Amino acid sequence: MPAIEVEGLERAFGEVLAVRGIDLRVEEGEIYGFLGPNGAGKTTTVRMLTTLLLPSGGRASVAGHDVVAEARQVRASIGVALQEAALDPLMTGRELIRLQATLQGLPPTAGRERADGLLDRVGLSGAADRRVGGYSGGMKRRLDLAAALVHEPSVLFLDEPTTGLDPVSRKTIWEEVRALNEDGTTVFLTTQYLEEADQLADNVGIIDRGRIVAEGTPEALKAEVGNPHVELLVGEGAVAAAERACAELGKLLPPKDGRRVLVEVEEGAAAIPRVVRALDEAGVAVESLELVRPTLDDVFVDKTGHHLEKEESGDGGEEPVPA
Amino acid sequence: MEAASITAAAAAPGWRANMATVLALVARAKNELVRVPGAAIPGVLAPTIFFLGLNGVFGGLIHLSGFDTDSYESFIVPVSMLQGAGFTGAAAGVNLARDYEQGWVDRLLVSPAPRWVLLTGNVLAASLRAFVPATFVLAIAFLIGARWPGVDGLVVCYLMVAAMAAVAACWGSMLALHYKSQSAAPLMQAGMMGLVLLTPAYAPLDLLQPWLQKVAEINPVTHVIEAARQGFVGSVSWSDTWPGLLALAALLAVLGASALREMRRTNV
Amino acid sequence: MVRALGARSIRQTFRRPQLISPIVVFPTMLLAIQTGGAGAGIELPGFPPVQSFLQFMLAGSMMQSMMLAGNSGGIAFAVDIEMGFTDRLFAAPIPRFAIVLGRLAGTAALGFLASIWFLAIGLIFGAEIAGGVPGALLAILLITASALAVGGIGAAIALRTGSASVVQGLFPLVLVVLFLSSAFFPQELMIEPAKTIAEYNPLSFIVEGVREPIISGIDATQTLEAVAAIAGIVVLGLVLSARALRHRLRVG
Repeated sequence: MPAIEVEGLERAFGEVLAVRGIDLRVEEGEIYGFLGPNGAGKTTTVRMLTTLLLPSGGRASVAGHDVVAEARQVRASIGVALQEAALDPLMTGRELIRLQATLQGLPPTAGRERADGLLDRVGLSGAADRRVGGYSGGMKRRLDLAAALVHEPSVLFLDEPTTGLDPVSRKTIWEEVRALNEDGTTVFLTTQYLEEADQLADNVGIIDRGRIVAEGTPEALKAEVGNPHVELLVGEGAVAAAERACAELGKLLPPKDGRRVLVEVEEGAAAIPRVVRALDEAGVAVESLELVRPTLDDVFVDKTGHHLEKEESGDGGEEPVPA
Repeated sequence: MEAASITAAAAAPGWRANMATVLALVARAKNELVRVPGAAIPGVLAPTIFFLGLNGVFGGLIHLSGFDTDSYESFIVPVSMLQGAGFTGAAAGVNLARDYEQGWVDRLLVSPAPRWVLLTGNVLAASLRAFVPATFVLAIAFLIGARWPGVDGLVVCYLMVAAMAAVAACWGSMLALHYKSQSAAPLMQAGMMGLVLLTPAYAPLDLLQPWLQKVAEINPVTHVIEAARQGFVGSVSWSDTWPGLLALAALLAVLGASALREMRRTNV
Repeated sequence: MVRALGARSIRQTFRRPQLISPIVVFPTMLLAIQTGGAGAGIELPGFPPVQSFLQFMLAGSMMQSMMLAGNSGGIAFAVDIEMGFTDRLFAAPIPRFAIVLGRLAGTAALGFLASIWFLAIGLIFGAEIAGGVPGALLAILLITASALAVGGIGAAIALRTGSASVVQGLFPLVLVVLFLSSAFFPQELMIEPAKTIAEYNPLSFIVEGVREPIISGIDATQTLEAVAAIAGIVVLGLVLSARALRHRLRVG
């Protein structure tokens, strides 16, 4: 039985349809990556699956329970770490995770033990009795994650778990997620970082403007798009000339950052000499040339016509969370 | 860690779990007072200033015939205590709005804890917190000569204060969850201020201007004030107490139900 | 330049209605409650002859709005300071005082409007302005001038502390100072020690200067006393502002 099953899920805010009919299926023990740019509808979907928002249409079930009719049972089976780590700065880490244990209905002694154990697991034992207000971003995410696990949920929802974190903290979270998954927890994570989806997810659903535009394993999706492309860094104002020069050689993809020209080349590395020659003949100065194999961004471009992200930035944007 | 079976049925939390949750939420609420330096001051200062101010400014009214007492401070101290309760309860609403804006309430809503448990935690915390300004105002009142209300008068007054704070917390929580924003704060405060002062607060019912007299006669809080005031101006009797209790019970029922409804509709 | 800053200050004040409402709504609520609750007080021996308690209280409510406007202007000024806007102004070749004066324009405008509001409320609910139109104009003038004066104090505090939350924390003080004056009840009938404090409180002189034209008619002595009190506060505000300015420009 699937851990998460979604059919035609919709959510409207006034006139705006933020989620326009989503179907997906996550099996038990899977890591599902929900990938999409800011504003695509990821957070809205997660909020519906975690019963924080009522769907306007369609249905969804989590851990075998309908999110509308059996909301309470859903809440008892899931662990949630939302985008804005919902932590109280005045509490200590230990107090917070113990409160979570109480909220989940765990008996006092067992709850305390689990809480303390989890703090250890995420490396926060030392800081456990300091106020959360003094924690770093990475520490807060780890605490949030630990709190989400206190009742051993079968399904874990992580909404943009590493947005705004430094690379080291990001790796730590990834390791933790993998470890959890090895123990059998189903993980539904949303992210705007393609590397995160690529690295962690068994299955990826790509969402844009409220619709799933592609779904499958990262490898399958990339294979679909298939072709590598050449990425050229040219001088200012030379983009048009470079594109003209390369137009015959392969399909032009939308340029990036105003200075990078992208040309899809079926033959891969073999196409490079021809590209160089064409640019040379056109008198276009090239600062660098790279052969890039398909990424999930390419899949995204293929399906939607625009890039998922300009470049991976350390602090991500904020997806406006409708109340 | 063993994987829990996905189809494990989740039983509703038992009464023990619910009570533990309420207490844990109350414990968290105290942090606001105890861990933030000076946080208690506004809640205590406002009713105290009003008490001393009203007494200094309007104390002369006591010479009008119609007052049961010759001590204006005894007459108004229960009003100031109830004002403090209103302020404390409304502040609980403001805190809830802030918690909502910061995402904390999501943590509560995503857990299997029943909504009424979450509301009770907030409301009970306000009731208990109201003891702080109430006691402070009372101490100041005694210092300037207010009458000792007797143990029964004191108990009745404090009971009214705690219940009034709960009423105010329900009102504040209802607004907080409906508007999901701290900008509703003035409405929370003003609503409670109006409720407590559109009564025989400054003077007995017969001495109020006609329009206010009519309003006070329909305002349930009038009974609350009369009940809380008993020991301070005379003796305590059941016939003067039960209307206040009934009024508070009714207000609690109505506002509590509204607040609970809003709590259940946060996902709409 | 003063005009430009003044215009900005006025625009800022009225762009956020939720900030205005406490300045006008709260005193209006209090007016209703206090006239309703304490209105019988006019029967007390020694109470000045008035048509109604409402007629008596109008001046007090105007004072209250005016004081709250001063506090609010101080907060806005402190926010400007916190955000560094005033630093930019100080660096420009503008006379220092023009900056403060421009800020005060917003406060004065609020005071002006508050006085009109309460006069209107009074008329709507049946209170007579005994001094007629000249009396009303005098009241408006005195309140607007007081708003400038009190605004100056608010500005001085903002300059000295540079912190909006400190200025905001002084809000209870506004109420205290008003309670310790004859804003809400005749000074002779108040209770000690408030009674004695009210006797010497400059705000009492101002309130009575505003009240007289409403309850009985223009009285030269009362008016002069009010003007003197306002002048006193203006001087105080100037001195404090000057010192605070010097301190701020030295410390930066």
